[in-house]
Amino acid sequence: MITSSVLLTDSQDESIALAIERLDGWRLERRTSAELPAAIGTVAGTRAVYVCTNDPTLLRATVERAHGAGLPVVVECEDEAERRRAVELRVEEWLLRGAKPDEIAARLHAALARGTPTAAGMSDRVERVEYERMLHDSLTGLPTLPVMIERSRARFKERGEIVVLYFNFVRYSKIEEIYGWEKLDAVLETTAAAVREFLDDTAPNPSRLMVSFTNDDDFIFFHVPATGVAAATEGEITEMVSRLQRHVQTRIEAHHGEEIAALFDIYVGRAHVYYNPKIRLERLIYRGIREAANAARSIEQRERARKVADLRSSLRERGVYIDYHPIVYADTEEIFGYEALARGVLRSLRSPEVMFEVAEEADLIWELSRLCRGRALEGLESHLRPGESLFINVDPHDFSDPLFGENEVANPERVVLEITERTAIKDYPKFRERLLVLRKMGYRFAVDDAGSGYAGLGSIANLEPDFIKLDISLINAIDTNFIKQNLVETMVKFANDHGAMVIAEGVERAEEFMAVRNLGVHLVQGFFLHRPSAAAVPRQMQQVAKTA
Amino acid sequence: MAQKNLPPILVVDDNRDNADIIREYLETRGYPITVAANGEEALALFETVKPAIVLLDVMMPGRDGWEVCRIMKQHPELGRTVRVIMVTALNELDDKREALQMGADDYVEKPFDLATLAATVQRNLAMQRTAKAS
Repeated sequence: MITSSVLLTDSQDESIALAIERLDGWRLERRTSAELPAAIGTVAGTRAVYVCTNDPTLLRATVERAHGAGLPVVVECEDEAERRRAVELRVEEWLLRGAKPDEIAARLHAALARGTPTAAGMSDRVERVEYERMLHDSLTGLPTLPVMIERSRARFKERGEIVVLYFNFVRYSKIEEIYGWEKLDAVLETTAAAVREFLDDTAPNPSRLMVSFTNDDDFIFFHVPATGVAAATEGEITEMVSRLQRHVQTRIEAHHGEEIAALFDIYVGRAHVYYNPKIRLERLIYRGIREAANAARSIEQRERARKVADLRSSLRERGVYIDYHPIVYADTEEIFGYEALARGVLRSLRSPEVMFEVAEEADLIWELSRLCRGRALEGLESHLRPGESLFINVDPHDFSDPLFGENEVANPERVVLEITERTAIKDYPKFRERLLVLRKMGYRFAVDDAGSGYAGLGSIANLEPDFIKLDISLINAIDTNFIKQNLVETMVKFANDHGAMVIAEGVERAEEFMAVRNLGVHLVQGFFLHRPSAAAVPRQMQQVAKTA
Repeated sequence: MAQKNLPPILVVDDNRDNADIIREYLETRGYPITVAANGEEALALFETVKPAIVLLDVMMPGRDGWEVCRIMKQHPELGRTVRVIMVTALNELDDKREALQMGADDYVEKPFDLATLAATVQRNLAMQRTAKAS
């Protein structure tokens, strides 16, 4: 073979020649130890260096030259001191003198595989990876804005106009807050895939649509009409938007359930941009984006105002119903109790998160809380069997509501008040005071979303809860993540030490159920075992839904 | 020496002695080991080595272990399958949450004994196999 690989060495040992024979297309170049450093870079085809000198200065010189030339080095060591020296010099491989040809060959192979990249080559690669990350969003695979602008430049100039659509996906951040970033990532991926599918389906249209992801939770569409075709009209765009909205919604519901699908809304703003040769094209486009984003925001505000109106009428008509989600013993799977989940009868207020967000904006939290609590407590008689507990969510705000706890409950000891760890408790002494009063009345307490990072174990201990409900993000894929398992184990131990019970919610898969059970979690809640079941919606409320 | 076709492992530690001890120990168990001395080097080697497991020291000059973990987990192809084990004194609850935020899969508490390290590597490989099978 003419283009053979060369192993440069100062070893005169026979075994190295034998080792070389085992490698395909290699030959040996021998030098004395003193000549070796200078020889590096002069012998064509050199791919590795094998050194056996016991002179530290020569060894260092050889390794430095070799690494400078991007060549891996194997060092033959006499003793421990030499081995240390070799390791210090960060050689690719070392072996002890007297190794068999097989081992030498294997070490040589390993050194080549490791192939120290040169410093320059390395930083190049890091930069390339980072550069690509900047061009395409790693999660959705969609191009980022600068890429989009470059791509649309020529078409925009040629056609003279462009329509920018700004899609504001509201409440994606809520998903992250509740379910953790892994869930949000998954939902964003689904969204992007749905958007891409949608674009592929609308391809026959002679105009061109491009999409970009802004890295947060918004998408930007560029619509460049084809030559000779009029730009899409307002009506066409509205129609397209609602089709897209339905498509994304369906996909998200199929992949992540209605709970998550009900959470978010999409608001779309639009701007028509005309080419102006006096103004830089990027600036024109950025202005268009800003205009479209503002338009989306004002639509959002209008929608919100409508939702507040919906909420007011719901409060008037008591238009809230309760889904009861079973909480079962981890070992026997028998029902321990139910969490009451309040939902709006009106479709726009179906999700409790949305409903309470609207109430917070409109300063109607107490009213809504009272209604939800009242409805939930009705279930004690109508839905629960004797001995089963009812878990209801309370906001720390509720504690300052003078009417809170005044709802006459025949047996408060069947009621567990869930306090979320998420909402900061501002007036702690007052809060504790209220807590004590309610506890004396017989109510029990659960700390919700524990382990989500808002409060440490210390502040959980302060509340002396009867139940600790683990944050959903800890349960999601717990079977594959050992850090989550470790955290849950810590919580279970903590609970056992404090006489509390741990509840794992959001258990969706058999593996997750097995994992939490094995970790000693006492109670389990999740779709894997039960879905929330609605109590019958009273007829009077169905009418509310119809008339709205 | 890698003979049994065990998956490659990337060891990232700026302390050469540590890295060397881990490497020697795992190599004698048949794992092909690649060592990186810092975060940049680890990221540069990531695509070439395609490690099944990354043993990642947290405290490193330059890009620390958290950042490296996050970037690796965001890699479009390798990010989904690679398992990142943080090597750190993660005894605080907050540290563990941080680790979860960055997408880490497991951790080995420092100072560790090599048997624990090997067991941790093994359980993560087992998890990877079941994930691939399903």
